[in-house]
Amino acid sequence: MSKPKVAFFDFACCEGCQLQVANLGEMVLDLIDIVDIVEFREVMSEKWDGEFDVSFIEGSITDEHAVERVKKIREKSKILVALGSCATIGGVNGMKNSFNLEEAGRYVYGEAYKFFPTIHTKAVHQVVRVDYFINGCPIYQPEFLTVLKCILKGLPYYVPEYPVCVECKLNENVCMYDRGLTCMGPVTKAGCNSWCINNGNICYGCRGLTINPNSQGFKDVLKKFGIPEDFLMKKIEMYNKCKELDES
Amino acid sequence: MKIEQYRLIEKSRIKEFLNKLISIYNVVAPVEKGFNNFAFEQIRTADEVRLNYIPTILPPKKYFLPKKETILEFELGDELKVEPVTEYENLVLFGVHTCDIAGIKCLNMVLSDRPKDTAYLIRKKHITIIGIECNNYCDDYASCSFVGAHIPTTGYDLMFTELSEHFIVHVHSSKGMEIVEKTEMFKGADQNTIEELKILRNNKLKVFNNEIPTERRYIPDLFDRSFNATVWQELESKCLSCGNCTAVCPTCYCFDIKEDVELSLKRGERYRVWFSCQLDPFAKVAGGIDFRRERSARQRHRFYRKFRYHIDRYGMIFCTGCGRCSRTCMAGINLKEVLTSLIRESEAKIWRKWL
Repeated sequence: MSKPKVAFFDFACCEGCQLQVANLGEMVLDLIDIVDIVEFREVMSEKWDGEFDVSFIEGSITDEHAVERVKKIREKSKILVALGSCATIGGVNGMKNSFNLEEAGRYVYGEAYKFFPTIHTKAVHQVVRVDYFINGCPIYQPEFLTVLKCILKGLPYYVPEYPVCVECKLNENVCMYDRGLTCMGPVTKAGCNSWCINNGNICYGCRGLTINPNSQGFKDVLKKFGIPEDFLMKKIEMYNKCKELDES
Repeated sequence: MKIEQYRLIEKSRIKEFLNKLISIYNVVAPVEKGFNNFAFEQIRTADEVRLNYIPTILPPKKYFLPKKETILEFELGDELKVEPVTEYENLVLFGVHTCDIAGIKCLNMVLSDRPKDTAYLIRKKHITIIGIECNNYCDDYASCSFVGAHIPTTGYDLMFTELSEHFIVHVHSSKGMEIVEKTEMFKGADQNTIEELKILRNNKLKVFNNEIPTERRYIPDLFDRSFNATVWQELESKCLSCGNCTAVCPTCYCFDIKEDVELSLKRGERYRVWFSCQLDPFAKVAGGIDFRRERSARQRHRFYRKFRYHIDRYGMIFCTGCGRCSRTCMAGINLKEVLTSLIRESEAKIWRKWL
């Protein structure tokens, strides 16, 4: 049986998630034992003209070219995976959606902005069908491997529907709120094994809001800790702005 | 109090004792994590140990029921090979509070019920418990007196109680006796110290007061009347469903079962991880139906699991009064306050009936 053909593509992103894959180290050797990587600009020059068994899409969709390109990749891919926050939830690129597009263009490109037409930032699933989601900014390597194994075994992967606190508490970290810091853990999707908090940082909420967050309850909690609501909203908007496109 | 079951060790020699213990056994004890947080961890020297600590982030349950536990290994091929696995380690837990010992007793009850949890029962045999008695409350969150977990009764191998000059040590098992003999640092108790212990226990009756405005025996009735109490609705808007309360609870034992394969896709393991009734996917079944969608229903379930259901099945309250759930709750859901509200609401109902 021939190995499944796997490709990585990048759109609007920093390519940090692909770097996480390249940085798997010795695991890369095990990886290429089971898959045939045919296109992966971050680490190789070769391109592939044929069909893909699995395509990983990094980055969000921010202009018409990207829309066309991702649609073509979708047509040629049996399975399409959104890789990293930009692809799964729009990520930091979504912050553009808080502004008037013309204003945003002018801010970045000055008067030449007309040569760079732009659209509202979209997550990949807002443009084409996505089969698997790997959240995170950047992705968490163990989760990437878990999802890949699910894909190859033909199993679904369920992104945990509970907040980061669940994993954080199991890792027995001192709560950031006990340290007097504002952490997004209570309203952010788990699956990263509370990676940042284990290493002494707060949760930035990069994986996106949980499916059923108690927003009012969280606002009450912030009030109790003396944290202003607009400070929180800014923190939420840093990664979650594209969510509004799902809701509208 | 049988004097022959008691031993003494000078308070000044406790570090020496711990270092000796570490030289013989794998010792786990409470260490400081900062910001008034503590955790049970394996220790290398006595200096790491904190004898005076408030309940740790996670209870010692994590050694009896590991957070992640492999239960079988398998090999996929022409023929499926499956091998059940039991993970265990010889451990001495030092400095366990009586509330946490009560928690382990609850777990023992459930996990030795049929179907027996063999892995748990094997692991339990390899763990020695050295308790330390609390002479004062740890903080205001505790309700150990209400559930009767503030005085040592059973469930430990050795129990240390601090007196004026000594720790008086109750030897409660042959495993405990082995430690006394191997460390060679204890002498027999005398009548004076036994008297001192008696006075201390008497004093504790004054220091520890029932923290809840009702008695333990009225709890089943209270909960029978409270299924539709308004408190649950208040929790609906407060609870963030982060699952902290159940993760830190010494008597929660729910788990999920998952599988993972190696990258070769040929070998793998099945393992269990802690799970929580407070989380969205917990009561979700095929077809996307969720039996406990509302946060209020989930919180109510948690309280009934502690104070009602297990009384029928095991004759025990499954709350140890450690206060962890209230201490860890960001939304400020406080067990003592919830129970008090239930009592107030239920009292009003009873009076209406009488009038």
